[in-house]
Amino acid sequence: MSENLAGRSVTPTTSDGGDGQQTAVTAPTAEAGPPAQVGIEQRDFHLLAWLADRGIIVFTLALVLLAAAFVDGFASVDNITDVFNRAAPIGIVAVGMTFVVISANYLDLSVVAQVATAAVVLIGISNETNIPLAMLLALGIALVYGVVNGVAVGVFKANAVIVTLATTFMGLGILRWASGGSIYFGPEDSLIRSFGTTEIGPFPLSMIALIVIAIALHLVLTRTTFGFMVKSYGSNREATRLAGVNISLVVIGAFILSALGAMIGGFVLAAFSNTAVSAMSDGFDFEALAAIIVGGTSVFGGRGSVLRTLLGVVFVSVLTNIMVLSGLGFGYQQMAIGALIVVAVSVDALARRAAGI
Amino acid sequence: MSDDQGLVLTSQRTDLIGRLRTTLARRTEGRALALLVVVAIGAWITEPVVFTSYDVTLGRIALIGLVALGLTAVILMGELDLSVASTLAVAGVVMASIDNLAIGILAALVVGLVIGAANAFFVVVVGINSFIATLGMLFFLRGLGFVLSDEQPVRLSNIEAGISFGKPLIGDFTPRMLIFIATFIAMQIFMTRVRVGREFYAVGGNRQAAYDAGIPVRRRIFTGFMISGIVAAGAGAINTLERTAADPTAGSTVLLSSFAAAIIGGILLTGGRGSVFGTLLGATSLGILQVALTLSAVQVDVQNIIIGFVLFVAVITDPNSLRAVVGSARSYLRARTAPQPQS
Repeated sequence: MSENLAGRSVTPTTSDGGDGQQTAVTAPTAEAGPPAQVGIEQRDFHLLAWLADRGIIVFTLALVLLAAAFVDGFASVDNITDVFNRAAPIGIVAVGMTFVVISANYLDLSVVAQVATAAVVLIGISNETNIPLAMLLALGIALVYGVVNGVAVGVFKANAVIVTLATTFMGLGILRWASGGSIYFGPEDSLIRSFGTTEIGPFPLSMIALIVIAIALHLVLTRTTFGFMVKSYGSNREATRLAGVNISLVVIGAFILSALGAMIGGFVLAAFSNTAVSAMSDGFDFEALAAIIVGGTSVFGGRGSVLRTLLGVVFVSVLTNIMVLSGLGFGYQQMAIGALIVVAVSVDALARRAAGI
Repeated sequence: MSDDQGLVLTSQRTDLIGRLRTTLARRTEGRALALLVVVAIGAWITEPVVFTSYDVTLGRIALIGLVALGLTAVILMGELDLSVASTLAVAGVVMASIDNLAIGILAALVVGLVIGAANAFFVVVVGINSFIATLGMLFFLRGLGFVLSDEQPVRLSNIEAGISFGKPLIGDFTPRMLIFIATFIAMQIFMTRVRVGREFYAVGGNRQAAYDAGIPVRRRIFTGFMISGIVAAGAGAINTLERTAADPTAGSTVLLSSFAAAIIGGILLTGGRGSVFGTLLGATSLGILQVALTLSAVQVDVQNIIIGFVLFVAVITDPNSLRAVVGSARSYLRARTAPQPQS
């Protein structure tokens, strides 16, 4: 029977399929060894490679300077604070999702559902009971999201885009069904509200939260074994598995970090607007992905950094702000972000080819 | 197909049961069939109206299935086209913006082809992963739809055509159902009897082997994305005609249901395996499920939860996933029971 099949099978077994798994009898206790930096040293100068690597710094600077010079109303403290206020939740989502992208799992679409759920739970539950309980519940939900996505992608080896598309619809469905689609308003004198309105200079507290979280996650990515494993898995999952790493746990970990980022992003968003509704996070998935990719983290996996994502967040937020100030509507903003994703990935792909990778 | 059968016949298994087993082992529609049986029996017991007023059910199946049929061509090559949802919206807006109906429909279809070609360009020439390329296009085109329509629904100038389009044309069949059936037959013939369509399987199964065998892989991928684009644009035109207006926000639910139909239908995301018939089965089971749920007064939110769950289960139970799970479970058990190798 099996001979029959093998003899005429048109589909070869994919490398990450079961056949590879069955040979996974290597000693499970094998140490991962000192994880080598898998960076690709580039001696020759390639414009595209340079663009993919350093371009974001120049572009962000140029964009901010141009905006300050030519766009009316950009260079005011109020506007900068506004940019920060809008950038912070997306940024926190993006720095968490960076781990999923680096692990070569494309992205986590379900952050849309996660952010809205965290916001609605924070405001809705804290209105009924108290804030710590609401946060604890939101944390539990975030862990469920992370584990469900992570197990489906990491253990079942399912496609991350489709898995998270499914969990998005399930999550949003559950949220709308449970909340009845109603809008929750927080009280004016709550701790949540004061977090959302406190500013230190032009910096709202949410922006400081973003910076602190980004630095923490940067340390996780660059200084911990887990961080190295995520990068290694993104570069070459088969080699990582053969090195004795439990790759399922690495993927689950990446999705849990993404879920935690989305949860905190939801908290910050709720605190800023002091309201919560299931539709409040539309487009967070794309904007976060745009920030990650524009920052220079490769969708091909293995390469990237959290601080780059932070830069990407600044770029995307400033760009959106310029469009708003110039009176370009929602449609143009979406077009710009879509084009940004395609262009940034194209530059990355062409640079890799030019560099002969 | 016939070549494969010939190979089997010349090998050991010539008896009927053996042939049946080999045929069944190759099929990927099992899950769709199982879901269809469960859903059909459930609907039969709880809401028999699903079958007595079958025209409603058929209309829903056509709505879900049309875009999925186009997607089938792309997924079979191991690629993904997420931009179908926005293609549908943009094509509808373009069509409604043009006063002459025939030219409008033509323009919509051309838009679909151009979008498909653009997707394929990024995938084949630039070399971006199709998930990300079409995701960017999804967003870009959604924005384009808003810009072209001024964020308002665009009314169709020829409303009479739209109204007559929603009425049954032959027997109980509305034009939408007829177009769906015609598309299904065309795709089925294309994928099973036409050389180009057969080569899609080769491209999805093993791209390098297909290339070495002399199949123009790039051109096939272009063809696949253009099929997916034009079918999505056609679905957009049909929606616009039926509603006598183009909605720039149309298509957000299309993404879920069309992917669900194709994946439940057994089209493997890794490419190379699956069938157009499987997509039909997937769309049929989803259509019956949706109509039954709607008749049972289940909210749209809960319907989304159920369909999302079905998609989730379908994507984690494809043969590759199950093999991965069984493999890791086996190696885990072996690692625990086997004597530890000396270190």
